[in-house]
Amino acid sequence: MTVVTWTPRKSRLSKMIDTPGGVSVGVALAQARAHLAVLEPRSLERVAALIATLKSLVPPSAPIEIASRLEAAYQAASGVIDAAGPFERHDLCAAATSLCDVIDAIPPDTLLDWRIVQVHARAMELMLALPREATAERGKVLEGLAEVRAIKVQSAG
Amino acid sequence: MTGVGETLRDSAIFNLGSAVTMVIDDSSFALELTTQALMGFGIKVKYACHSAVEAMDILKESDVDLIVVDADMPGMTGFDMVRWLRRSDLDPNAYAPVILMAAHVRRKHLDQARDCGANFLVTKPFSATTLLERVVWVARDQRPFLGVGDYFGPDRRFRDGERRDGQERRSDRIRRAEFEAAKATQSSSDDAA
Repeated sequence: MTVVTWTPRKSRLSKMIDTPGGVSVGVALAQARAHLAVLEPRSLERVAALIATLKSLVPPSAPIEIASRLEAAYQAASGVIDAAGPFERHDLCAAATSLCDVIDAIPPDTLLDWRIVQVHARAMELMLALPREATAERGKVLEGLAEVRAIKVQSAG
Repeated sequence: MTGVGETLRDSAIFNLGSAVTMVIDDSSFALELTTQALMGFGIKVKYACHSAVEAMDILKESDVDLIVVDADMPGMTGFDMVRWLRRSDLDPNAYAPVILMAAHVRRKHLDQARDCGANFLVTKPFSATTLLERVVWVARDQRPFLGVGDYFGPDRRFRDGERRDGQERRSDRIRRAEFEAAKATQSSSDDAA
């Protein structure tokens, strides 16, 4: 028999949210965006460094290296999403997510065609260098990555 | 401003200035991004931790009102930390609202994301708007805590059950009804003019 316990609970947060004072949503968002804007140059530097890390990763030369090398690539791609996310760099995030999806989809200890990592790294590098208004070019790059992702994720089951 | 995915009104006021907040992320830069966004909302981050273990030591000693934790950390993950917290018997911390943040959720972690007991999982990229919506949502989260088998955390059912007979007593619903009524009145008087 499964025992279910049910505990009604009000958090202290729920009590304080409607207390007098505070800030409006509009002001809060403006302040948050201003705080984040200060960090944008560092975000771009960090993204560039993570792309460089991805590009420098060499394919595993022995089965024992597969897991750690893939984890390093996954962490670098995931770091790009972390750093670029709050600045509406959906292009970089989509490319990084595509690589995370591919790595996540392959069975453990399976060797990944390393060109996929390199293609994603170069795509991110290109998108970082393109002017903001080059949306068509970004779209094409992302379309290409989406095809790679679809094939690899599907074939991995 | 209570439903999942519901947009916040610019003029809505909230006050979380006195919330004791903890942010946990192994990446210093991601930690700073989250902290700065929260500070913009008027929420001071009292505890900024780089690992689950560091956070656990604090949670054993001090009360915390809001926890924002990265899901994918080396060593103990955010999922494991939330599961530990919910089963820790630390009162009030075991019941504290928890927002899990994830750049990418691995397939093997999907079950953990659902079962660890967090109030909400925010997948990155996050914008300031998304984060604020989720913070306000967890602050207003009235779901009871359920213990079922291995699970302890907020009721995972988001769908409303049958409304009980009698007058509405839920303050968020009352506020929303008042807002809708005021909006309708305003709209009809504008039409008349």
